[in-house]
Amino acid sequence: MAHPQIAFFARLANGNEQPKRKIEGQKTLLGRTMHAVAYDEVRDEFMVPVPLSQSILIFRGGADGQEAPLRVIQGSKTELVEPERLALDAVNGEIYVPREGDTVLVFSTLANGDVAPRRILKGPDTGLGAGAVAIDTVRNFLVAGGGGGGGGSKFRIYPRTAQGNTKPLRTIGGPKSGLFGLGGPIAVYSPKGHIITTVRGRGELAAEDSYLGIWSVEDDGDVPPKWRVGGPNGVFLMPRGVTFDAKNKTIIASDKRQNAVFSFYFPEAF
Amino acid sequence: MAPILNSVFAGSGKTKVFVYGIISVISLSAILLVLAGTLDPGKADRAYRAALRVPNGQAQLTAAEPITNQDAAPMCVWEPVSATSGSLAAFQQARPTSTTASTRPIDFASQKPVRTIRDPYAAYSAVAVDPINNEVILTDENLFQILVYDRLANTPAQAKMTEPKRVLGGLETKIEFQCGLYIDPKNGDIYAVNNDTVDTLVIFSRDQKGNVPPKRELITVHGTFGIAVDEAAQELFMSVQHENAVIVYQKLAQGKDAPLRFIQGGKTQLADPHGMAIDTKKQLMFVANHGGFHEKIPGAEPALSFAGAGGKDVPNWPDGGQKPGSGKNLPPSITVYPLKGRGDLAPLQVIQGPKTRLNWPTGLAVDEDAGELYVANDMDDSIAVFDITANGDVAPKRMIRGSKSMIKNPTGVWLDFKNKEVWSANFGNHSATVYPMGASGDVAPLRMIRSGPLNEQALGIGNPHPVGYDSKREQLIVPN
Repeated sequence: MAHPQIAFFARLANGNEQPKRKIEGQKTLLGRTMHAVAYDEVRDEFMVPVPLSQSILIFRGGADGQEAPLRVIQGSKTELVEPERLALDAVNGEIYVPREGDTVLVFSTLANGDVAPRRILKGPDTGLGAGAVAIDTVRNFLVAGGGGGGGGSKFRIYPRTAQGNTKPLRTIGGPKSGLFGLGGPIAVYSPKGHIITTVRGRGELAAEDSYLGIWSVEDDGDVPPKWRVGGPNGVFLMPRGVTFDAKNKTIIASDKRQNAVFSFYFPEAF
Repeated sequence: MAPILNSVFAGSGKTKVFVYGIISVISLSAILLVLAGTLDPGKADRAYRAALRVPNGQAQLTAAEPITNQDAAPMCVWEPVSATSGSLAAFQQARPTSTTASTRPIDFASQKPVRTIRDPYAAYSAVAVDPINNEVILTDENLFQILVYDRLANTPAQAKMTEPKRVLGGLETKIEFQCGLYIDPKNGDIYAVNNDTVDTLVIFSRDQKGNVPPKRELITVHGTFGIAVDEAAQELFMSVQHENAVIVYQKLAQGKDAPLRFIQGGKTQLADPHGMAIDTKKQLMFVANHGGFHEKIPGAEPALSFAGAGGKDVPNWPDGGQKPGSGKNLPPSITVYPLKGRGDLAPLQVIQGPKTRLNWPTGLAVDEDAGELYVANDMDDSIAVFDITANGDVAPKRMIRGSKSMIKNPTGVWLDFKNKEVWSANFGNHSATVYPMGASGDVAPLRMIRSGPLNEQALGIGNPHPVGYDSKREQLIVPN
């Protein structure tokens, strides 16, 4: 990808409608491969991980143009390695960053500079699997999605404040679950306890069996999703990340093969 | 049909209201029939498009005037999209209801998005000229294509686009985010670097087109970006973003062939390397760096290749292990190395500093005879030219830059020595522009090839991996 940027589109943008604003350029410290983004509605900030510079960048909510981040989490104390994803817990003021699949680092949302994580979840009993993470702030769960062992992906549910070598409370995954592989970052809608994710199909560059799936944080074992949306054999070719607009009962998902962003009206989830 | 409708629209206000009403009924009927499941979606789409005057290859209404002086109440009451009542909301909610363990999953597989953000036009990321066949080749990171145009094509201002002579694209081609491009000067073979979603360099014959497999493939390290070829030595160079490295192969390497050598390490100052160029006269290699840096742990683990190449036992394979917490943001730079350099070597020259105006420098090209280095300076909207010997915080000796130049987010640059022209691939405005070699300042291009309407900015979306939502401003957040 030749040009890093973060584009902001109006909620009702459709087709080839221009973004309302973009941040881009050297001062932003953005780099390629930003594989997660989170908006903090409490502090009106948003954040992205940058793997090539091992950093978490936090911008003001209305950032525009060639604007520098407000804070940068970066340095030897952070223990960051190729941070691909992150999750925000705006209620408790924490940022969760998975590391190399087997570790989750937790920072304060106010962290800045070379700071140590306030908690680390890591160890053989954790069973991680942490390609993507999300927080249920109502039930106080940490949901980690990632490698399942023996193929496919799994969701592992931990207490939100788990640290050290903590076993998951339960695991969702298996051949009936349809979790071939996570498409990208996952989301949790806390009021209803829904885990929202895209599932990559089984093609290399594009797969028509891709879909958007919704599970419950209370699910346990080899459980299929409650709902499948937009696929299989739907609009997706290679889905990636998801987020939601609860006020307007909309789930939003991106697709790499189509360089597109889809908005689904899906009141069932809200 | 169109003349009839146009004549009708020239009539009285009541007649206009009637015609608008008919169009509204056709549109609504198509939507209702689809929702009711009684009309094939393809047919419905055609009906919908016809009703809304989207070009459909058939005669249709081509002009309309607003209704004025309405005495009666509005025909339609405005209804917000978020409304929880009303006809549209009611249709949308007429769907399966309960979910139990026995009924899981409830499928909405056929549900279509209510909105889709997507740029329909090619976004040019790299450019190269085949002077023998008088063609210009462009890679497109939006629709995943390689497009071949006549070198002298020039899109008229009023035209939406220029049709390419040939197009390569589709799953068989393995083309995705193609950021580096090289044309074999003898046989016209097209070398196109996939970035980080397909760890494969694909090589096509110049006459291939459509959805066809490449003539040759070289499986690479993850994250290759720039490319340069030393024809005399038959060596091929690629930069690697993720590993802060340059790898060198035999030009005709294929499959899982091992590299000949690589440059990597803390002394190199390679930091998120992008474009590459070489000077075979002075035996130099130039690399553009965006600045994102982390240290490697020598020997800890080999660099990743999702396509299955490399490994500890493969000679000359770069390191992949990251030292935790070693990340830094360095200023952007152009670093210069001996062409035969290898290992952890310091650059001979570093162009870096505020006077350079470097701002995400991306594509590079070298004019060996003139002793000049051309830089596609993405976020400066310029092609900057430096002396080959430039070192330190030096200003460009000239730039092509300004509104007349039409340069917008240039990510590729190419020098056509036969025709004495400079090409810029403008990722930001669906265009490739060409100038006389030696052009300086805010000069209009000699010619411009566009894939989309004049002055329509590209959305710039490229691998929108995550997506977020700003609930305060009601905006979708889409990083590349």
